[in-house]
Amino acid sequence: MIDLDSIRETLGVRDPWVESRGTHWLNPGTVSVRELAVLMNAVGARFVTITAYQLPGTEGFRLEYHWDLEGRLIGFPFVIAGDTLESAKFESIYDLCEAADWIEREVHEGFAIDFTGREYEPLLLRAGDKLGVNLREMAAPTGVPAQKEVAK
Amino acid sequence: MSYKIPMGPYHPGLEEPYKLDMICEGETVRDAELHIGFNFRNIEHLAETRNYFQVIALMERVCGICSFIHTLTLCQAMEKLANVEAPPRAKYIRVIMAELERLHSHVLWAGIASKLMGFKTMFMTCFALREKVMDVLQAISGNRVNYSMNCIGGVNRDVEDPTALLALIDDLEREMTRTVIPIFTTSSTARSRCAGIGVLTHEKAVSCAVVGPTARASGVNQDLRRDAPYAAYAEMQFEVPVEQAGDVRARLFVRALEIMESCRILRQALNNIPPGEISTGADKFAFVTGTATSRVEAPRGEVMYSVSWKEGSRNPARVHVRTPTFANMPAVRWMVRGARLADTPLIQASIDPCYSCTDR
Repeated sequence: MIDLDSIRETLGVRDPWVESRGTHWLNPGTVSVRELAVLMNAVGARFVTITAYQLPGTEGFRLEYHWDLEGRLIGFPFVIAGDTLESAKFESIYDLCEAADWIEREVHEGFAIDFTGREYEPLLLRAGDKLGVNLREMAAPTGVPAQKEVAK
Repeated sequence: MSYKIPMGPYHPGLEEPYKLDMICEGETVRDAELHIGFNFRNIEHLAETRNYFQVIALMERVCGICSFIHTLTLCQAMEKLANVEAPPRAKYIRVIMAELERLHSHVLWAGIASKLMGFKTMFMTCFALREKVMDVLQAISGNRVNYSMNCIGGVNRDVEDPTALLALIDDLEREMTRTVIPIFTTSSTARSRCAGIGVLTHEKAVSCAVVGPTARASGVNQDLRRDAPYAAYAEMQFEVPVEQAGDVRARLFVRALEIMESCRILRQALNNIPPGEISTGADKFAFVTGTATSRVEAPRGEVMYSVSWKEGSRNPARVHVRTPTFANMPAVRWMVRGARLADTPLIQASIDPCYSCTDR
């Protein structure tokens, strides 16, 4: 079984793993999500999902990336700024991990977070729907960037 | 010359709201695009507006086939946040219900696959078997689809006479070994429609991170019941069937073998169910601020819930649901590449897709 601390050391992270309510968490610090995805591929971890949370006020969002490593659920939280509708951006890992495709598209549509470095096709939104309409709390739902209209 | 053939969202060969746009050359599919979201319900948002009792009833409606699994996963996550643990008897009842639901789902799938193969007799046989499983589920829970069995800290109903159910399990297993499995494994109809069709290679299965029988049929040896046991699975003896071919036939074999393993687990659980309470009995809970995750091996593969709570709140702050079909469906694109157009309904059905889960 792969030692979780070897992953921490490879990433150069000082904080220890913390097991909490079903997940082994590691704060990635300055490690980028793309570096993380490369390492997860190298150790044979299975991508599970990304869970997005909107933080209070103008604090932005927390994205939790989950992989399964030999039956252990491991998680890496990232906080991204995004106090206006078009400012929440984060690197896509789709080119490194094709399993992340649909969930990146879902988070993009649900929270209006832009995963940079990839193209989007609509996943759940219908033609004319607005980004962020599903899950993002918005004070004024006007001026929201429109999803590319594609007749399905 | 290539041309695009749209199949769905409303199509006789694909009777659920999902669309497959196939780029064909002659009768051969060269590529495909998948479209979902036609019945999107935004249940994750609705969950934020429900209290801790209502959210269980809501999440039971994510899926019509594995409704028990969804509430089990949700309740396990909420139990971590409320710092309660289900009693041993409740954990056994959860195993019994989960395996009955797996039987129900796999037999239903076998019927649908038979229909798509043009094997209508088998369709009727499978659905008759499914009725027997549903009778058992109804005998335990009082319901045939949404069982209302799970609660925070246990289950709502007891299995009053576990040994009485053993005869039903024996009957089901006998039918499977005498009729269903031999026909699926030896008949020329099943072989010609399934062998070498819709192959998902091991490499692609790993790359797409598919789960459940779809993964196991491509040689990916994973099953949360064994790898990360929950409820009372740590006390059960069972095998995890794995096939290497990655075709429709391999997916069929894996599910057939899983039916046998489910019968084995059910027999153990019904014989060894411990006495005692079926829930903690509490009806008020103090949730702590934080996030909890729970994963369960549903009939189609891993279900994961992330539940976030703020202390003092009656409603969850966020509920994220990752369903197995959401993970498996993108792989259909790779399965249909190079396939004959006529095989595509069966290929997409071979992952046992649940559109209700996908459009949650």
